[in-house]
Amino acid sequence: MKGLIKYLAPFAPDQSGATGVLYGLGGLLVVCDAGGCTGNICGFDEPRWFLRQNSLAVSDSSTEEISATARGSAYIENTGNSTDASPGIILSAGLRDMDAILGRDEQLIAKLQLAVKQLGSPFAALIGTPVPAVIGTDYAALRRMAEKRCGLPVLGLPCTGTGLYDEGEEIAYLSLFKRFLESRTEKASPSFASAHKASVAQPEIVPGRLGILGATPLNLSTATPSERLRKALGTNDLLCYGASGGLAAIALAPTVEKNLVVAPSGLAAAKYLQKRFGTPYEVACPLLPEDFAEKAASLAGKRVLILHQQVLANEARKVLATLGCTDVTVATFFRLEKELSNAGDLHLTEEGDLADLLANGGFEAVIGDRYLSRCCRTFAGEWLHLPHFAVSGECADI
Amino acid sequence: MAKQAFSITANELAALGRENIPDELLSARHLIYSSPATLAFNSPGAEGFGVKRAGLTVPGSVMLVISPGCCGRNTTLLTERREYDGRFFFLLMDETDIVTGRHLKKIPKAVQEVVAACETPPSVVMLCITCVDALLGTDMDRVCRKAQEAAGLPVLPCYMYALTREGRTPPMVAVRKTLYALLEKRKKRGTSMNLLGSFTPYQDDCELYEILRGLGLKNIREISRCETFDEYLQMSEANFNLVLNPESRLAAQDMEKRLSIPWIELARVYQMDKIHRQYELLGTTLGIPIDDSPYLAEANAAIERLHARHGGKRICVGEWLNADAFELSLALLRYGFRIPEIYGTVTAANFVYIRRIAELSPETRIYSNLSPTMLHFGISANATDLTLGKDAAYYHPGVPNVPWNEEVQPFGYRGLVHLLEEIERKLP
Repeated sequence: MKGLIKYLAPFAPDQSGATGVLYGLGGLLVVCDAGGCTGNICGFDEPRWFLRQNSLAVSDSSTEEISATARGSAYIENTGNSTDASPGIILSAGLRDMDAILGRDEQLIAKLQLAVKQLGSPFAALIGTPVPAVIGTDYAALRRMAEKRCGLPVLGLPCTGTGLYDEGEEIAYLSLFKRFLESRTEKASPSFASAHKASVAQPEIVPGRLGILGATPLNLSTATPSERLRKALGTNDLLCYGASGGLAAIALAPTVEKNLVVAPSGLAAAKYLQKRFGTPYEVACPLLPEDFAEKAASLAGKRVLILHQQVLANEARKVLATLGCTDVTVATFFRLEKELSNAGDLHLTEEGDLADLLANGGFEAVIGDRYLSRCCRTFAGEWLHLPHFAVSGECADI
Repeated sequence: MAKQAFSITANELAALGRENIPDELLSARHLIYSSPATLAFNSPGAEGFGVKRAGLTVPGSVMLVISPGCCGRNTTLLTERREYDGRFFFLLMDETDIVTGRHLKKIPKAVQEVVAACETPPSVVMLCITCVDALLGTDMDRVCRKAQEAAGLPVLPCYMYALTREGRTPPMVAVRKTLYALLEKRKKRGTSMNLLGSFTPYQDDCELYEILRGLGLKNIREISRCETFDEYLQMSEANFNLVLNPESRLAAQDMEKRLSIPWIELARVYQMDKIHRQYELLGTTLGIPIDDSPYLAEANAAIERLHARHGGKRICVGEWLNADAFELSLALLRYGFRIPEIYGTVTAANFVYIRRIAELSPETRIYSNLSPTMLHFGISANATDLTLGKDAAYYHPGVPNVPWNEEVQPFGYRGLVHLLEEIERKLP
């Protein structure tokens, strides 16, 4: 039956994806839910939140500074930080039945106003969930009302909880760039405003500077995506949008020489930046595990299926080609971009699609998150584990 | 506005009264901060017993979660635990479903497919529905009847309605009622009774078992100790139910109405005189005096021992633990400890404790875990000697902590004694 899952659990949803893109920007991220969706994000889909907790668990009385940063208070006006440790503040709207039934937007805005007063923030985001989707919330109106009342830039992200994480990421990237590169931004923090003024009004390309799109824990299965990319690419001049550098990195987007798209969720934003500022982009993901080639060597000559987000899966296919493994198909439950596909690549919708594919596709080996093997337990071929956080919640740093 | 965590002294709060609790302490008046300190209890299903885990307490049950994908996402963790392997199924709703409710027509067939996929037929299929169906006004009783007809076995609703968490029937109250809905009227046995309250057993050495056995009760049943569905069904023969958690009151009322099983309620408290008084009242109600003096003496000795070594030490108390944060704080104050800070959810109901705390320790500061201002909580490693509760540990890293949140439940004098033992073990 369509939509029935018997062996797996649902993958990361769109609101988790949207939050993951914005998390490193240090804003107030308000999930418009009753509490459960926020709990799902903070307790499962946002590993940087866990690292916050871990940093506290190992700290002692002398680590006051670290702990305060971990709680977020030290970050609030820090928009120039180049590390991964620049947490946003995730809050739940705490909606109750009468809020939803009566559509009490005023009350939500009043709560946001109070939080802005209490915490301060360079911007806020209102992130959708199933509850506002059912009652047909008008995010554009809500956003305008919030900007007017709170006096800071606000993003309205119409997530529904029915989409997958990459849809939410795409929505978040596009909203972010459009709001901060095209609209008035004088209400954002002073550091953002000056960077914005310099880069958008008279963009000056900085040779060697690279912008990164799609670098989220859900795509790359690491809680420190920018640090890992910096190492892999051998450069420090990276603008890892959302993952590090705060809002200033967004303002500097027009100054990069090239954007690197490491997951399909960043592709639409790359196209937007190309159209708007002429910035070229390349699609590649240099974050396969270091021992991947060694482990995959045994697959030479076999018919192989790769399951992951499309860009990382393509990267794995390139490595397999160097090992003499050419009969390789990429399949994904997430976004499959035609322009990034080879003939025969597949989009999967149901867990039964994967079971059928492995039963009838003649594959001798699979590369993908081992969690997916639960829906095809009779598959007798080799399974090379390649974790995908959005699938299993397995993360290199946890 | 000053950038600091909101707090109020017990004295100030008691003076304001239950009608004037400050907005910063009321979660309905502000955005909710899901700090790592609060995730376990502020995120249904994230940790501990949420509706999903609770619904599977009935032996042999399976669950079909009918929701948008997001509501089932964190179940990934549960599906990896051996005891839940093959027991969770999901029917995902799309954007059209959440507006039109067309998913309801698919449920009977989905239940049939779930039953067919099980290696052994389940005892019951729990249908877990979420905020979406709360807003759509879905008649789940009707849906369950249809599914039951199609599948040929019991189908029951579990309402994971986070939207109604502070309503008259919150999700954790409703699911407790559901758990006993399959019991049918049986002949009563004077030697049988049930404990209602937890999804896990009480500590094996809890004096309650000895006391009840001493009253001639041979069959003391708890749902969490039932290994088979037949054992579970035997809960119908109980002569009475003992409610040990107020969230089970609705279930007890329902069992009284349907199965003619009367009920008595005891609260989990840590003040010795209150524990003693409860046993007195229980004896009076049952018509047999209860001699709790050996357990009372044991608890007294434990308090004296701890007080001699550590009396006057400072303990900060959180709410992520097996106790009411305010009642436990009051108990510890009465045992001679100091309580600098409490992190808890203030309600009109726990004002009775707050007033007493204000008398004994007017300067005790009360914080709300859920307030966004807790981002500004300042760390002072010297502020306390020990923290109680996992959330309290978050605010005082590096200070010895007693989590006191194990799944096996403490109760009565022995619960108190074990807590004091833990405190003694951790205090320097």
